[in-house]
Amino acid sequence: MTTPIASARALTRTYGRGDTAVRALDGVDVDFARGRLTATMGPSGSGKSTLMHCMAGLDRPTSGTVVVDGEEVSAMSERRLTRLRRDRLGFVFQAFNLVPTLTALENITLPLDIARRPVDRAHLDAVVQAVGLTDRLGHKPAELSGGQQQRVACARALVTKPAVVFADEPTGNLDSASAREVLSFLRRSVDELGQSVVMVTHDPTAASYADRVLFLADGRVVDELTDPTPDTVLDRLGALTRRTAAAPAAAAL
Amino acid sequence: MLRVTLRGVRAHAVRFALSVLAVALGVAFVAGTFALRTMMSDTFHGIVDAQAPADAYVRGAEPLPGGAGASGGVGEARTPVPLTLADDLADVDGVRLALPDVSGPVVLVGADGTAVQSTQAPSIGIATDPRDPSLQVVDGRVPAVAGEVALEEATLASSGLAVGDRTRVVLGGAVTDVEVVGEVSAGGPLAGATLVFLDRDTGVATYAPDGTVATVAVYAQGGVDEDALTAAVAAALPDVPGGADAEALTGSVLRADLQADVDQMLGFVTTFLLVFALVSLFVGAFLIANTFQMSVRQRVREFALLRAVGASPGQVFAVVVGQAVVVGLVGAALGVLGGLGLVSVLRVVLERVGMDLAGDVPLEGATVALCLVIGTVVSALAAAVPARTAALVPPVEAMRGDVSAPERSLRRRAWAGGALLLLGAAAVATAAARPALDAAEVLLGGGAAAVLAGVLVVAPTVARGALRVLAAPAVRLLPPMGRLARGNVTRNPRRTAATAGALVIGMALVGAVSVIAASAQASLVRVVESSTSADLVLRSATGMIPAGAIDDVRALPAAGDVAEVAFTPAGVSAAPGADADAAADGPAGGAVVGLEPGVLGGAVLVDVEEGDVDDLDDASAVVNTRVAEGEWHVGDDVTVTTPTGARTLTVAAVIDTQVLGTPLIVTRDVLDALTPEVQVDTVFLDAAAGTDGTDLRVAVADAVAPYVVVSVQDRDEFVDAMAAQVDQLLVILYALLGLSLVIAVLGIVNTLALSVIERTREIGLLRAVGLGRLQLAGTVTVESVLTAVFGTLVGLAVGVGLASVMPRVYADDGLDRLVLPWGQLLTMVLLAAVVGVLAAVWPAARASRLRVLDAIASE
Repeated sequence: MTTPIASARALTRTYGRGDTAVRALDGVDVDFARGRLTATMGPSGSGKSTLMHCMAGLDRPTSGTVVVDGEEVSAMSERRLTRLRRDRLGFVFQAFNLVPTLTALENITLPLDIARRPVDRAHLDAVVQAVGLTDRLGHKPAELSGGQQQRVACARALVTKPAVVFADEPTGNLDSASAREVLSFLRRSVDELGQSVVMVTHDPTAASYADRVLFLADGRVVDELTDPTPDTVLDRLGALTRRTAAAPAAAAL
Repeated sequence: MLRVTLRGVRAHAVRFALSVLAVALGVAFVAGTFALRTMMSDTFHGIVDAQAPADAYVRGAEPLPGGAGASGGVGEARTPVPLTLADDLADVDGVRLALPDVSGPVVLVGADGTAVQSTQAPSIGIATDPRDPSLQVVDGRVPAVAGEVALEEATLASSGLAVGDRTRVVLGGAVTDVEVVGEVSAGGPLAGATLVFLDRDTGVATYAPDGTVATVAVYAQGGVDEDALTAAVAAALPDVPGGADAEALTGSVLRADLQADVDQMLGFVTTFLLVFALVSLFVGAFLIANTFQMSVRQRVREFALLRAVGASPGQVFAVVVGQAVVVGLVGAALGVLGGLGLVSVLRVVLERVGMDLAGDVPLEGATVALCLVIGTVVSALAAAVPARTAALVPPVEAMRGDVSAPERSLRRRAWAGGALLLLGAAAVATAAARPALDAAEVLLGGGAAAVLAGVLVVAPTVARGALRVLAAPAVRLLPPMGRLARGNVTRNPRRTAATAGALVIGMALVGAVSVIAASAQASLVRVVESSTSADLVLRSATGMIPAGAIDDVRALPAAGDVAEVAFTPAGVSAAPGADADAAADGPAGGAVVGLEPGVLGGAVLVDVEEGDVDDLDDASAVVNTRVAEGEWHVGDDVTVTTPTGARTLTVAAVIDTQVLGTPLIVTRDVLDALTPEVQVDTVFLDAAAGTDGTDLRVAVADAVAPYVVVSVQDRDEFVDAMAAQVDQLLVILYALLGLSLVIAVLGIVNTLALSVIERTREIGLLRAVGLGRLQLAGTVTVESVLTAVFGTLVGLAVGVGLASVMPRVYADDGLDRLVLPWGQLLTMVLLAAVVGVLAAVWPAARASRLRVLDAIASE
């Protein structure tokens, strides 16, 4: 295996202090492979979103290190984090992905505008064509469907040729047809452009598009699966839920 | 529901803080105005009481035609009464004492060698009678012989003199050396008036050389009341010399008359200040409406939930209006305190410049109640429309994930505003086209108000387009920020326009005043330049040049022609039996100018409309059509009436001039014959042949130096001095500017801060994709500047447009030049940009401090 595009070592994130402290991440060691689509799954409160926020420099770990594309994110100043997000990372959120006052095209080129980098026309055209939005570029987000909005968000994430794209429940608000479009697009970006993508999801179907699935529970990585199908994912998930449910009982013994 | 209302205000206290401040500001002005008015009124009533302390007064029975006061006093001028009346009345039953009022203008030289004069208050010399019961000697004694004076307490303090010091006074045109022998109290603060008490003989010689005075004060013996005394005096009057033309009245009646005059004058001041208050409240209402509009949009779900659990639309409406009432009440209460603070500060400032005001800062129950009502009502009215929006939220909105109140169409607004705008413009155009119409001023005023209101209504419909154009440079120069800012200001044009509304109103006023001031200045300068050919002009700080100064100047070898502009208050009317067309009904004007032969058309250049100014002799007069009412022609007869005489003259010429502000010009001989109270306010002076202008100036300046108040100006300085009077208008301009800027800043800060709260998630997203903190702050700043500049441009356009019509309407009143002060207007726009930057500081800091993750995760 080549060097991972992003990795975490002994990553801990605690919220609150004293009696009310919650350990969202509890000593996580994880590597995300270059040029692969990795999905992170787990029940609510398992720490999967916190893991992604820490990896992406949106949240600061309590302890441990995060390295993305050879740079230690966990040691960066706010200013450098901003630059990292702008130049090296791409984001797709579950909702509210686009600036409502800008057109689809302006939203896509927003990171370049912010960085004052010239637009690589050929790359832009390729991305726009890949998401199939060529004829909707002049529209405002309010005039686009939910699926189209998410595809614009994907295009925006890819236009800077980032080291990693972080996608937080990208299909959470979509119907199954739109979800399939968005997921196929992410898949193709990995296969055709060699993009590295990290995706948080709770949907086994979505996870099945990934090369590898990580399962989190109670702030730890508890399992993983390569080349998943919806069924295998569902099985593992089921096992995981049972184990979580059984844990208090085991502790009682 | 009351609990929901109050909790809502408490939970969003920060959100409503600026609304409270806006109400407080407006109410502070209202409260301050009333408190100031009460204080000034108390002070002036105190002065009236101190000036007229006697139980009864005798004065001339007939008011003078033409009105103006004889010696600058309050109240209408009347025929004078003989000085001897005082002695004759002293023997009447019940009379303890009768004293003539012998007083007039005086100049007191202070310890620093300059004239003692504070603000615009008059300097009055009063002949003292040791028996006068109203005199309270604080220190020393009252003056007994010529060369002695006593000074009023505040006068003594501001002059820097002390009892026993020697100084000079300018009295009846001559400089006199005097000794300060006493300090006298006038019974209360005098609002800066300078009072100099003279000995009786000097006073009579100066102020009553013809043996007449305006009034005689009568004091009663113990046990005789005012009415009985007045009746006794009135009964005695016909039997004493000169008493037939006099009337007696009680002290209370006279004081009431004088106080009524004072109150009328204060009424103007009050009205002026209340206009300020009204503007600030109106602008504040914009801010409140804006706040509630945004707050309602944000809380749609909350209202939907209330509706879902059974609240009626009326109850939801009541919740929002109730919150506005709370905001209004709190703001008004703060405003009352602020107003009183404002007046306290003002009082200290006025005391510094020598204007003492009476009593404590008043806090009247009625004023407080009025202020609370005003603040509450303004606030509730401003929130009514947003409250209606909230009331109409369907309950189902509570279940929806994505909440957005739909933007209503702007079409109805465009039509209504457009109609208002056209109507106003038509009225203004009519006034401009037919300035002679009686209703021209009403049309102009009403039209201007309609235009401004129309613009405010229409503003949102044009805001989008206008802002796009304004934002173009920013979009080009500041790549991500310009475009983001443009998006934000054009996203909700209604809100942007309402935010800019404060500046629109303020800048419309500022624009109009600056155009009028510049035009008036230019018009005046042109008039002055074409009005005199003299080398030097002498003027006086007191409005009166001492006769001795003129004599001294005349005696200079360097002086050539010396032309005095002498005047006296007088009534002017068409002679009895004259042609009915000759004069409009009633008397015209309040003064007559007397000139030596040859001055008219010489030192004073005029436009002759009819006849020949050289025909002016002792049997004729010249009419100034600019001031005179009615239509006059050569050959008409005109009667001039002064307190001491009347003369019928024939019109020799009709002229048009702004230099002489009186309707009638007569010869100096006629003027001297009519009255002993001739004042000279301006002297035009030419150098003698062969004398250099600079030499003349030096010589004249030396000659008038002892008279303290006389200033020497060459032509350019004279023009500048006249123009400087217009600059006083600019003081009002700056006051308006300051006020509107403060409220505008509040409005912009408010809108930005609220929209930052509203856009938390969007800001989080932008930060996630790499927008730096400075870039985010820059975006907010550009937004702010765009809003400020938009408001300023619209306001200035309205103000300048409306003011441009003024020279057409008021050409006959001397405003005949239109000058657009481009430099000043440009400064305003730049100032607006600065204001925009300042207003953005707090919201921008707030936005950039939002933590990225919190912003993304926020509801």
